[in-house]
Amino acid sequence: MRFLVCLKQVPDSTTRVKVAPDGRSIVTDGLTWSISPYDEYAIELALEHKDTAADTVVSVISVGGPRTKDALRQALAMGCDDATLVTGDGADALGPLGIARALASAVEDLRPDLVLCGKQASDDDQGFVGQALAEALGWPHVSQITKLVAAPRGMEIFKEVEGGHEVWAASAGAVLTVQKSEKEPRYPSLPGIMKAKKKEIPERPVAGVADPVTVEIVKLEPPPPRGGGRVFKDGDTQAHAVELAKLLRDEAKVL
Amino acid sequence: MEHGPVKIWVIAERSKDGALRRVSKELAAKAASFGDVTVLEVTGERVSGTAAAAALAARATGGAPDLILAGATPAGRDVAARLAATLQRAYLSECTDLAIAGTAIEATRAMYAGKLRARVRVALPAVASVRPNAFPLGEDAADPQVEAVAAAETPGLTFVRFEPTASGGGRVSLSEARVIVSGGRGLKGPEAWTAVEALADALGAALGASRAVTDAGWRPNEEQVGQTGKTVTPDLYIALGISGAIQHLAGMTSSKVIVAVNKDPDADIFKVADYGVVGDVFEFLPAFTDAVKKAKAGA
Repeated sequence: MRFLVCLKQVPDSTTRVKVAPDGRSIVTDGLTWSISPYDEYAIELALEHKDTAADTVVSVISVGGPRTKDALRQALAMGCDDATLVTGDGADALGPLGIARALASAVEDLRPDLVLCGKQASDDDQGFVGQALAEALGWPHVSQITKLVAAPRGMEIFKEVEGGHEVWAASAGAVLTVQKSEKEPRYPSLPGIMKAKKKEIPERPVAGVADPVTVEIVKLEPPPPRGGGRVFKDGDTQAHAVELAKLLRDEAKVL
Repeated sequence: MEHGPVKIWVIAERSKDGALRRVSKELAAKAASFGDVTVLEVTGERVSGTAAAAALAARATGGAPDLILAGATPAGRDVAARLAATLQRAYLSECTDLAIAGTAIEATRAMYAGKLRARVRVALPAVASVRPNAFPLGEDAADPQVEAVAAAETPGLTFVRFEPTASGGGRVSLSEARVIVSGGRGLKGPEAWTAVEALADALGAALGASRAVTDAGWRPNEEQVGQTGKTVTPDLYIALGISGAIQHLAGMTSSKVIVAVNKDPDADIFKVADYGVVGDVFEFLPAFTDAVKKAKAGA
């Protein structure tokens, strides 16, 4: 079984993001960059399959500038077998449909059985590339994946839906967008890190890939501040509970 | 784009009881203020996102609308993204506001896991998913007329079976609940949810949880609110024993009214709360549940 996991390098989820003076982008100086959390879950799902079936190959790929190699190396250190960077002028500016086109051309060369993507990247929060990649390949996709189980007649694909999981099976290539893995994504091991350092990361040119649409960010700002709320601190918790119910009904009007 | 009224599709969804989802009604009502609306519903058993998008794309060959809207539920986002890709259109997900500006749409949406808010503009034609509760809906709003679009099977994909979650079912869906009661590590263990559920029942609320709680297996993953779980926008969000990690706050700070109950007066959750109680959540819960019942009964 050959997996290809598509990942995106994004500002680390614990880092604070600040709006740049242009009001349309973020300050990137001094940011810590990481693999987008949902992509880490996708890597974990593929590596868990590799843990049980040794002939599994887990490849990772990303579209971006030179800095993106750090994220790919992180994935190699976690245990992925090989990595590809799609890069060149404009790689960082490509939108989801353009990224999907660039990835589709790589999929045609790398020939994985299954492609895994995080369900969305934690920078633009779009949730578009996985579906767009499936479309570009003419493949089906399944979203909200939380588990993959090897079964006699192929892989069982667990999709989280209201009240449980739908189990699907793909007879050929499919793109799966991952919601979560049951286990936390593994940390890179020290030998893994050493091995990852030595690995070549081949590059593919992004040149010639067009993006048919442009989304313009008119303004980027922090959400309106909240808080300054009424907090009951001392005294009888039960009396506060009664008071609170009245406030929710009469003042906030939400009961 | 041709002149004349903007043509809009709303992709509707139904909940398990067969009723049109509230977000679908919200979108149909809002879209009617923009232009000519057609409300479509993909029908069939266990329809995959791939199949739903294919059915809608086939329907679009007779005349594609300028704007396609879906609710930003997991299924709505899934079909909207695939359909946008099929039609090679711009797609904006999880919008919290939307307006037509000439031959473009302008939308507000969260970015960076809710840490920032963006105003974005794309030229029509476009596709967007819109979060539940973004637009008001009159209490007496009638269901819009819905056109059924039958889905075919997805080549290469087979539905095998459904595995229900042990505690699943019976409650309102988290992503479009008007009221959510959410529990964190401060509740100390899964047995505390008897009291949490009693409150949720009194409020007609959905259940949510912090990541600590779902990771510990106290509650199913699908109840997780926050960066790697669900983003929610209810009228009322009640956080019980939740400290308010930045990843949790990202998933719920767009709630209209936030109530926090926590022992620790310095918990970050109080920084976003409209109402807070510093105290023992186990003392608070039964008293509050009782008070909610009385308040709702008009006492």
